[in-house]
Amino acid sequence: MMLHKPSTPYAGMILRSSLLALTSLSLGACVTSSIEGEREGVTGLETGEGVVIMAKSYHLGNETENDFINCVGNSIGRGREGLRVVPNQEFVDALFPWFEPRTAPADTKGLPDLMLRPGVAQMIKDKGVRYVIWLDGNTDRVAGGGSMSCAAGPGGGGCFGFAWWTNDAKYEASVWDLSGLEDAGTVVADFSGTSFLPAIIVPIPLLARTQSKACKGLSDQLKLFIIDEPEPI
Amino acid sequence: MSAWGKTFFVTLLIAAVSACSTQVSVQDPHIPDPLIAAMPLSIGVRYPQSFDHFVHEEQVIGKEKWSIDLGASNKMLFNKLFGAMFAEVRIVDDAADPATLGLDALIEPSIDAFEFSVPEQSQTDSFAVWIRYRIKIFDRLGTQIANWPISAYGKSQTKTFGGDEALRRAAVLAMRDAAALIIMQMDKSTGISTLVSNDDTRPVTGEPAARQTAVEEQGDDAP
Repeated sequence: MMLHKPSTPYAGMILRSSLLALTSLSLGACVTSSIEGEREGVTGLETGEGVVIMAKSYHLGNETENDFINCVGNSIGRGREGLRVVPNQEFVDALFPWFEPRTAPADTKGLPDLMLRPGVAQMIKDKGVRYVIWLDGNTDRVAGGGSMSCAAGPGGGGCFGFAWWTNDAKYEASVWDLSGLEDAGTVVADFSGTSFLPAIIVPIPLLARTQSKACKGLSDQLKLFIIDEPEPI
Repeated sequence: MSAWGKTFFVTLLIAAVSACSTQVSVQDPHIPDPLIAAMPLSIGVRYPQSFDHFVHEEQVIGKEKWSIDLGASNKMLFNKLFGAMFAEVRIVDDAADPATLGLDALIEPSIDAFEFSVPEQSQTDSFAVWIRYRIKIFDRLGTQIANWPISAYGKSQTKTFGGDEALRRAAVLAMRDAAALIIMQMDKSTGISTLVSNDDTRPVTGEPAARQTAVEEQGDDAP
């Protein structure tokens, strides 16, 4: 096979950029993951029963992203084994003010008192909510480096350099069973991913989608946790 | 300079000035119906003028100017809240003498302070709003029995909502926080439930005995 020599210096730069991009792709934007579950009791869902996804209170310092809560809700509701997910805002509004950041019970010990409040137990029954899944945690940038500079002139522009950063997504989902007013268990997801941004004229982002992978991983595990499928023999 | 040139220049100037100022408006906080049992009290509510149109402006040092217009949101909040908390609620104007209205209590809510922080100040990706309300309660004779300050807080991320929308949402969350706090703590902090009348000494007003709030009579933002 014969390789044609690039006809202009500009074409040479494009070829080098392409080669660098391919090399970078082979290095990959990897995500490492760890998911652990701890079951406190037997779970399962009857017909008409569903779950609601909540964020732990920001009054307690929690900073779970709304995007992540929506993502988990959508993921749990999708697919062949999708669960019935009651929209978070609909649930919070229907039970106003008992699931506001200030008033929501901090643990399952507060559930019996909550259920005794006028209309609360009936509203939860009407909404068909069997499990409340409380999300805690967030995605943080834990490391990064490199440098990149861009310039533009009358003849065009471009960037040169290399940057990288690592995101760490740590989330904990506590599952409360409202039928037994007890803690059903916890699922913990820890995902870490490094993204790269090489640039020779054109920046080529190689993004590690750490948060979305954590969302998918946590959601899949939560589905299995709640359905409580027996392990295949 | 031609007329077209002047117009262009003025438009550019207005655009440059408005780029340094952000305005956020909350005309209706959409507070849900509280899931609570009403206290068997007939109360009057007297709102300050600021509850009809509340605007807060703040210049973030070295940054842009923010203006948040709450309109009549505070009035809507307290109408909804008191309408659910008490068996009968009447809006009382400044001229009326509450002692002649046959009320168990008169409540005067007000705003002591309104503050917010933008992401540049807090070094986070969130807007935060603090509202300090004050609730004064008077018995049927007009004697003040409680002067209760309430600090409410709301926080909203810019990642999910844009800057303007995040500030608007943080303000609404602070109002909801105030409502939750009032429902949870009002009786404990003010003893308002002890003002229920057990005798027939109230003047006859001809008002219906069944629950009917002034809020419902207004019909606009009634629960």
